[in-house]
Amino acid sequence: MNWSQLTTFTLEFGKEEGELVFIVGPNGAGKTTFINLLTGFLSPDEGSIVLDGDDITGMSANGRVDAGIARSFQVVKVFEEMTVRENLRTVVLTEQGKTWSLFSMADGHEEVEAQVNELLEKFRLGDAADTVAEELPHGDRKLLDVAMSFGLDPDYLLLDEPTSGVSTREKEYVIETIVEVGRAEGVTTVTIEHDMDIVTEYADRVVALHQGAVHGVGPPTMLETDDELRRLLLGVGEDE
Amino acid sequence: MPERVDRDGTPAYRVLGVEVTRREAAFLVLGVVFLFVIPDIASLSDSLQLSVIHQGLLFGFAAVGLNLLLRHTKLTSFGHAAFFGTGAYATAVLARYAGVQSVGLLLLGAIAAATVMAAIIGVLSLRHTGLYFALLTLAFGQLLYAIALGQSALGGSDGLPVRPGPANQPLLFGTAFSPDVYQILTYYLTVVVILIGLFVMYRITQSPFRNALDAIGQERTRARFIGLPVRRYVWAAFVISGIYGGVAGGLYAVVRQYVRPEGTLFFLRSGDILFMAILGGFRTLVGPLIGGVVLVFLQDVGQDVTQYYEFLTGVVLLILVYGFPRGIVGSLRSGGIVNARLSELRREPSVLSAWGRSAAQSIERKVTEALTSLRIILFGVD
Repeated sequence: MNWSQLTTFTLEFGKEEGELVFIVGPNGAGKTTFINLLTGFLSPDEGSIVLDGDDITGMSANGRVDAGIARSFQVVKVFEEMTVRENLRTVVLTEQGKTWSLFSMADGHEEVEAQVNELLEKFRLGDAADTVAEELPHGDRKLLDVAMSFGLDPDYLLLDEPTSGVSTREKEYVIETIVEVGRAEGVTTVTIEHDMDIVTEYADRVVALHQGAVHGVGPPTMLETDDELRRLLLGVGEDE
Repeated sequence: MPERVDRDGTPAYRVLGVEVTRREAAFLVLGVVFLFVIPDIASLSDSLQLSVIHQGLLFGFAAVGLNLLLRHTKLTSFGHAAFFGTGAYATAVLARYAGVQSVGLLLLGAIAAATVMAAIIGVLSLRHTGLYFALLTLAFGQLLYAIALGQSALGGSDGLPVRPGPANQPLLFGTAFSPDVYQILTYYLTVVVILIGLFVMYRITQSPFRNALDAIGQERTRARFIGLPVRRYVWAAFVISGIYGGVAGGLYAVVRQYVRPEGTLFFLRSGDILFMAILGGFRTLVGPLIGGVVLVFLQDVGQDVTQYYEFLTGVVLLILVYGFPRGIVGSLRSGGIVNARLSELRREPSVLSAWGRSAAQSIERKVTEALTSLRIILFGVD
C-alpha cells in the first residue's frame, strides 16, 4: 500500500481505562501503517500526531516509548540470542533508565528482577524463563513480544496482529492473556486483528479502516449491523 | 537465578563482581602467572622473543576493545588501526614537540587523542550499519594513514621517534633505565594495563549497558522500540573500543620508541586486529588477546621461514573458519569442540579411526565437488 495516501483522521483513545480497541479492515486498508505512524516507525507527510495534548509528530521512536507508547510487531521482533528472562530484563532495565550503568551487574538490580519475575508470571512464561528466544514455540514468542511491550509500562500499547501465525488453540490463550493483563494494568490496547470472532468477543470499541481512511468507529456489534463493512471484511455479498 | 557451578558442584566465587568457577579461577591464575614469567622464559629460548609477544599483547589488547563492537553490537569495524595509530602518534608528537618524558603522561595523551578521534569517527561512521559502516571505518583509517604519510611534521613514511628528554628515552617513575631493563619494565606495565583493561571490560560485559548493546546487535528495530536511543549507545561503545586501541597504540609507541605509519595506521593493521579477535574467539573476553599473541607470533615465525608469510596467515584463517569457527578460546572452552572431542576420545579411543574415515570421506567428497566445478567451469555443463 502506498502509505502516502493514508488520509488524515482523528481518533481518540481513552487513557488509563484498560480499553480494548481493535482495528479491523481489509488488506491494504492501512492498519499497520496507522500503527507505524503513531509509533514513529514512519513519519507522516502531512498532519500531526497528538498524544494527550502534546504534538509528538517530530518525536523519535524511542522518545515516544518514553512518552508512553509501546508496540509489538506482526513478525515477532525479540532479542533472539537472549533467554526469555534476559529479554524482559533488558526491557525493564531500559524502562527504568539503567542501561547507562557500565559497572553494575545487569542481574543485580532487585527492583528490576522483581518486575521481570512479575512479567514472567503474568504472561505465564515462567517455565520458559531460561529458554533462548529463538528456540521458543511460536505462541510463546508472541507472548514474549507482548510481554516486552508491557514491560515498558506504557499508557498505550499498539499490537500488530498478536495472534497471527498462532494455532487456533493457542490463539485464545494469547489474546486472553493480553486482555487480562491490559485490564488489570489499565493499559489501553489498540490491536490489529483479523479474527472477527476474537474482535466480537473482546472488543470495547472497533475501528474499521478502509483505503487509508476510517470507515467507522463503534461497538463490536457494528460488525454485524454494518453491511458495507461486512462486505469489505468478509467479501460477503460481493458476487451479488 | 541458576548458580554457576564447577563440574563437581563447587559454586562459583565472586570477587569484585567477577564470577569464576574453580576451574576458571585456576586458568586465570595460571594465565596471569604465565604473563608475568614470560620475560624469564623468553630469555631462555631463542625462538621466543619478548618483543614479539609484547607486540602481540598490545595488538591483542586493541582487539579486546574492537570486540566490544563485534561481539555485542555486531558491527564490524575495518578501521581500528586508526585508534591504535592515533594513540601511537599522539605519544610520539607529545614526546617530540612537547617534550613530555613521563610514560604516564604520554599514555594519558594517547588516551585523550584516541577518545577524541573515536568520538569524531564514531559520529561520522555510525550513521550507517553493516557494509557501509565497515567501509566508512576503513576510509577514515586510510585517511589518517595518508595524513601521517604526507605530513613532514609527523615524519612522513619514516615516522617519528619516541625519545624525549636528555636521556633520549621516556621516563618510568621519573627514571631512565637501561634499554634491557626498560623493555622488561614496560612489558610489566603492559601486563598491568591489560589486566586492568580486561577487568574493566569484564565488568562492562556484565552490566546493563551490555544488555543495551546486545539488544541493538540482535534486533536493532526492536531496540529502538523499547526506547533505546540506538545511535548514542553504539557511539559510546565505539568510543570505549577506540580508547582500548589508543591505550595499546600509546604503549606500543613507548615500547618501540618509534612509530611508523605502516606499523600503526595502515589498513592491514586494522585487518590484523579484526583477525585477532576472530582467531582468538570473539565470543570470549580474553580470546582477542590470545589471538593477538598467536597471530603476531605466526607472522614473526613465518617471516623467518618464508617470504610468503602472508600465505601462512591465509592458511590459518581457512583452518579457523572451516574447523574452529569459535576461535581458539571458544573451541577450548568447556562445551567447545576441542573439549567435546577429547572427552569422546577418552570414553572410546576407537572413535579416532572413525574420525579418520569421516575426514577422508569428506576430503574425497570436497575434491570430487571441486573437480566437478572445475569441469563445469572449463567445459560447461554436458
